[in-house]
Amino acid sequence: MTEAERHTYDVVVIGAGGAGLRAAIEARAHGMRTAIICKSLFGKAHTVMAEGGIAASMGNVNSNDNWQVHFRDTMRGGKFLNHFRMAELHAREAPDRVWELETWGALFDRTKDGRISQRNFGGHEYPRLAHVGDRTGLELIRTLQQQVVALQQQDEREFGDPEARIKVFAEHTVTRILKDGSRVAGVFGYARETGRFFTIEAPAVVLATGGIGKSFKVTSNSWEYTGDGHALALLAGAPLMNMEFVQFHPTGMVWPPSVKGILVTESVRGDGGVLRNSEGDRFMFKYIPDVFKSQYAQGPDEADRWYADPDNNRRPPELLPRDEVARAINNEVKEGRGSPHGGVFLDVSTRMPAEEIKRRLPSMHHQFLELADVDITAEPMEVGPTCHYVMGGVAVDPDTAQAEDVPGLYAAGEVAGGMHGSNRLGGNSLSDLLVFGRRAGLHAAEYAGGIGADRPVVGQQAVDAAAEEALRPFGLAEMVEPDGPPEGGGPPENPYTLHTELQQTMNDLVGIIRREPEMREALQRLARLRARAKQAVVEGHRQFNPGWHLALDLRNMLLVSECVARAALTRTESRGGHTRDDFPTMDREWRRKLLICRLAAGAETAEVTPRPNPAMRRDLMELFDAEELQKYLTDEELQHYSSEDAEGQE
Amino acid sequence: MSTATEDKHSAALDAAESGATQHVTFRLRIRRFNPEQAAEPVWVDYELSMDPKEKLLDALHKVKWEIDGTLTFRRSCAHGICGSDAMRINGKNRLACKTLIKDVLGKPKNGVYKPITVEPIKGLTVLKDLVVDMDPFFQAFRDVMPFLVAKGNEPTRERKQSIEDRARFDDTTKCILCAACTSSCPVFWNDGQYFGPAAIVNAHRFIFDSRDDAGEQRLEILNEKDGVWRCRTTFNCTDACPRGIQVTQAIQEVKRALITRRI
Repeated sequence: MTEAERHTYDVVVIGAGGAGLRAAIEARAHGMRTAIICKSLFGKAHTVMAEGGIAASMGNVNSNDNWQVHFRDTMRGGKFLNHFRMAELHAREAPDRVWELETWGALFDRTKDGRISQRNFGGHEYPRLAHVGDRTGLELIRTLQQQVVALQQQDEREFGDPEARIKVFAEHTVTRILKDGSRVAGVFGYARETGRFFTIEAPAVVLATGGIGKSFKVTSNSWEYTGDGHALALLAGAPLMNMEFVQFHPTGMVWPPSVKGILVTESVRGDGGVLRNSEGDRFMFKYIPDVFKSQYAQGPDEADRWYADPDNNRRPPELLPRDEVARAINNEVKEGRGSPHGGVFLDVSTRMPAEEIKRRLPSMHHQFLELADVDITAEPMEVGPTCHYVMGGVAVDPDTAQAEDVPGLYAAGEVAGGMHGSNRLGGNSLSDLLVFGRRAGLHAAEYAGGIGADRPVVGQQAVDAAAEEALRPFGLAEMVEPDGPPEGGGPPENPYTLHTELQQTMNDLVGIIRREPEMREALQRLARLRARAKQAVVEGHRQFNPGWHLALDLRNMLLVSECVARAALTRTESRGGHTRDDFPTMDREWRRKLLICRLAAGAETAEVTPRPNPAMRRDLMELFDAEELQKYLTDEELQHYSSEDAEGQE
Repeated sequence: MSTATEDKHSAALDAAESGATQHVTFRLRIRRFNPEQAAEPVWVDYELSMDPKEKLLDALHKVKWEIDGTLTFRRSCAHGICGSDAMRINGKNRLACKTLIKDVLGKPKNGVYKPITVEPIKGLTVLKDLVVDMDPFFQAFRDVMPFLVAKGNEPTRERKQSIEDRARFDDTTKCILCAACTSSCPVFWNDGQYFGPAAIVNAHRFIFDSRDDAGEQRLEILNEKDGVWRCRTTFNCTDACPRGIQVTQAIQEVKRALITRRI
């Protein structure tokens, strides 16, 4: 029998980024005993990296803004593949979540009359991003962390125990969701420091684990982003959707090495920064797709007037959605007009006075000067596409954030799919975390609170199986004989080597531009890596053993990478964060289909199957011009809407 | 100056075009500790060949991934924002992800560089290698009531705050809770009961926030014997802060507020 520390809670939240903390605060507010589990120290989650801001149509800077405009922008950004209901809830509720955060103490930059200031960002029609300089994510995390501390001190006064209703298990990793029949019964994992196992029995689990970027070589993502929640959901029997859509941020630094992968926030472009190729050409004007022609300036004069007079001019094309900008840069480089290190130039130095740059972008200026000897007030930056975000994730109910097919399982934030369709707009991530973090916490609390005496139970067999799986890399180490190969065939493998090969494979073969033969090759390589990962061997003991942790993370990364590759191979069109060299255009028929990944019990790889994308509600459809809808919807769908229209008039 | 810049530029271009980078060979001397194996820590040298423009964190990763998979340290975002990888590098507190190898390499003697030393931050119990027990640090943070306390009715939208009022505590909101300041403070080394600079910075962040109504309470907490009066103004904390926060100045502002009882 496995020795594992046992706890009992009502709601377990996996992940302590923006979505996880917001979910935990909500569950605790509804009286649930809530556990937060995070891989890093508390307050270090990847959310801290978000620079630009939180998108919410408060209309503080331009009063024309409202939730309908935000909804429209979000659907356009996602190329209409978004789940309309998620996009609607997000646009409607984001302002309340920002105001709430402010009343909890968050610092924001202010307008002259003391309200929350809002800035322009790619794909957003009006200045919409509430921000704190370029450290908005850090402030969001810190405010939620402060709120957790405040609640714990309340509980200490009330119950004599600060952890009575909300406890943080920092530096703990979950390796399995445990079930009782079809329902969630709890989680199993290990404490990183001691290597000891733990189980938490709980009827509701919220996945808030973020993304999968560590499966790619060139990435802005932090080490935690190994697709844990995606894999845990699959293994628990819940489906993933939209996994082919991976966002490459257009402007990650490509040089010098010390800043490689660091993102240059979109607000550099929102505030006047421009992209130029090696010939000095401001090339983005060549890349405005037809669907966006009416909203973007056709030449530099109009574009430059927009910064001061946005009501009478169209936006500069540097502010197109991220996928468009990333593809344009990729094309410039491919055609030989790239910068010396395979990117293009992002220049703010010739666009505004040095003092202004320092005031508007203080962290950027400081970071580049200190880390790279690059003074952004005096010279351009070299930037290129960098793996940044996965649109795909757990298929959830839009209103409750409950994962399909597994009662008691919820998902919010980057690990959930649907909200952003095929491409996420900048600024919509932080608002997503708050809106759906709250909803997941609320509905997990309602579910756990309503379960009564019928609580699911964690079976010892499941705990033993999870422990055996987690100990496997040590078991192999014992099997290694000095004179011969270990049991199970194949030589022992170093988990770091396997990880590097996985990253190279995904980057080269399932990266920003995809081709069928390359993806087939990727699937073969992934199959070989999966076999080799079974031979991963770790040295040392269970106490704080990073090699062991990575060996366990590899299972998740491999599983999720296969989903990305299979879904990308299946979708024979280009849309948002999925670009096929062999199918370069968007296909209206494909918009009607979502690709679902499932892992059958006992299977090693996920199956990908299409299913219909739910049709948008009529009142939401009416927010768009018929002309615009024609770009996205099939004739059949359009006819359907217009015939309903005719019926409505009767 | 312009010549130097051009030289640097063309050297970088040449390197890129030839596909080569100018590696240097040096030793990383890491203070290793594994309580399961030995009661005392030991210094272990690792020879590395790397581009000196890479980060010290890259050097640690190289050791871990290629030489010894058991090397343990915390890191998360790797971009200087999350504050996980504060450590003593050549005797000075820094974030490994914000330290370039070239900046701690020194000049070679007869073609050989002095080793770069890396050890855990001081004043907190070492758990393994570069990982310390951060609990006392976070406890001090929690003790200063690090959350907004506002009386009166909750607004339906945001509270208003003027640009000037907001600017007053901007500096102390930049804190990333990395512990570089607190673990560089000689007072903290000698007496772990002292709140330490990071906790005071986080108290300052609320004491000087125009929206907050609990400034007096926080000042009373910091007026206690383990509070601000222990600070000896050595400026170690300000030097150590990877975010450039004027830590000592913030502590002085809190002291002044205590004397004048005016925020």
